[in-house]
Amino acid sequence: MKFKTFALFVGPSVLAMLALIALPLVGVTYISLYSSSVKTEIVEVKTQVPVFAGVVQEVVTKVPQPVLDENGNPVKSWDYVGLGNIESVLATDQIADAIASDNTVDESVGTIDNLINMYYEIVDVDFWAALEFTLLYTLITLPAVLALGFLLAMSVHRAANKHFKGSLIFATLLPMIVTPLVGSLSIYWLFLDNGVMSSLLQMLGLGKVYFLKDAFSIRSLIILYGIWSTTPFAFIIFYAGLQTVAQDSLEAANLDGATPWQQTRYVILPHLAPLMIFVSMIHVMDAYRIFEPVLVFGSNLFANSLQYLTYHTLYFEDNFNKAAASAVLTVIGVAILLIPAVIRNWREHKRGH
Amino acid sequence: MAINAKTWRLSGTALLTVWAPLAAFPFLWMFLMSMRSPVDAFAFPPKLFADITFEHFYTVWIVDGFWVNALNTVVVTVGVMAVSLTIGCLAGYALSRYRGSVGFWLLLVALIFRAMPHVVLLTAYKPAFFELGIWNRYETLIIVLVAINQPFTIWMLRSFFANIPSELDEAALVDGCSRIKAFIKVIMPVMWPGVITTGLFSFLLAYNDFLITSQLMDGDHMTMTAALGNYIYSDDNLTKVLEGVAGAVSVTIPLIFLVLFFQKQLVGGLVQGAVKG
Repeated sequence: MKFKTFALFVGPSVLAMLALIALPLVGVTYISLYSSSVKTEIVEVKTQVPVFAGVVQEVVTKVPQPVLDENGNPVKSWDYVGLGNIESVLATDQIADAIASDNTVDESVGTIDNLINMYYEIVDVDFWAALEFTLLYTLITLPAVLALGFLLAMSVHRAANKHFKGSLIFATLLPMIVTPLVGSLSIYWLFLDNGVMSSLLQMLGLGKVYFLKDAFSIRSLIILYGIWSTTPFAFIIFYAGLQTVAQDSLEAANLDGATPWQQTRYVILPHLAPLMIFVSMIHVMDAYRIFEPVLVFGSNLFANSLQYLTYHTLYFEDNFNKAAASAVLTVIGVAILLIPAVIRNWREHKRGH
Repeated sequence: MAINAKTWRLSGTALLTVWAPLAAFPFLWMFLMSMRSPVDAFAFPPKLFADITFEHFYTVWIVDGFWVNALNTVVVTVGVMAVSLTIGCLAGYALSRYRGSVGFWLLLVALIFRAMPHVVLLTAYKPAFFELGIWNRYETLIIVLVAINQPFTIWMLRSFFANIPSELDEAALVDGCSRIKAFIKVIMPVMWPGVITTGLFSFLLAYNDFLITSQLMDGDHMTMTAALGNYIYSDDNLTKVLEGVAGAVSVTIPLIFLVLFFQKQLVGGLVQGAVKG
């Protein structure tokens, strides 16, 4: 195919991506460098305050008022602040204070306690708290999803009954396909204070558990949701991979007297290794963007994620510039996460795929 | 050895019998709750059987106007699928046939775009669309969702097109067809499985999106998923919670049919990505 034909064919798609992905990325970076505020001035406002029996006193108060232009719209100022927004999101001052103060803290408490204190002071800042939970979520769900997905794939692969297999794949597919908001809500509703899980636990004599009033249980539930909703993906990929395991090598291993565990360890797992890497890469990218469960469960009080933090700044604080700054920081994180994927594709390209 | 293999298999079956109900339980309970009065839905101890009522569905669909959101969902998902597949097929076909390195770079950039958190883009859309006055319009939402979905779409379609032997279109070209005619008359007719699978994933993206849709659209223009946002954070009012449950069930039912009818294509599409990279 000639380059000109190629360009014509990919044109509309590339245009859409340039206009609505590439340009916004530039725009966000630009917005993050500025700070907008409504210009205000102090205006003297006179009000008539009734004092007693028809006697009125005039009170003059000084009130900040937005400056209006000739059309009656508030005048907005747009100031270049450089990295100011990013610094305020990162709370660099506060972090520097935390680190500096802990170096001078009394030594009676011990270094480890000092470090723990320092850690708590750092995750007190919204951005670092969001980063902390995003990483925590990724690090816990990733091995769980890989292991559970693999075990399920092995079990379904070995299950004899075809009908059973079909309905199992169906039941497993649903948590992955379903709207993330609905999936998060369906778990959330189970754990309401008078919901079914709390009641069941109470019946078992474990006492009343308030799942949604405590950071630890809320974080656990978000992680549970993560495992529930992404294990199906790992399962399906591994299940497909199991279909292509060379039967000869399995039979040979069997004849040589390899136990099922040895067959798994030395034949099946090496065969699935590339798929494990693929699933891990996709999962890390998706975990980094976790949003809906944090919206449903956490607000930003108990659990926060990077994507939710930007949403919160944008929606509740209505601060575009600060939201843009945390968006830029998020993109930097994406760039770091993508390095292995880019290297992998680059190698394949070099090999001439 | 024989016993070992048997326990091995038994433990697998045990895992499956535990997993399948667990995976389905949140949905099952949601369905049960949606058809109960608050007293039954939050009874202690929990009830397996209770009186059935469709009151919450009535409130959500008729009183709260969920039917408008359902129509919006149809408009948005059909629009996204149509535009996404049209421009995606053109690009995917070209990417599968072009041998230069520009194609590789395009795919690599698309991979990076695919990993972008949507809120990053939203931060730029909000002020820009407000300035341009294209806020709260179906066209805007459709084209935004199409663009966000393009990276994934072109990756997937490219690998489907790559499975079609290029001798096919070359023969058509030799016979005097133009490139675009060969694409439409010869390639597309054998591409339907790929188009259906990719279309399913485009549908899911548009249908499942909450973040972008709830921020770009007003109440009357929202899709069902975005409208569900009205029911979160209302735990104090149990009737309202159950209305939210009824709304969530309404959103889930079409997806259940989707999985029932297109299980093969969905699984095939997921696996395609893994095998082809």
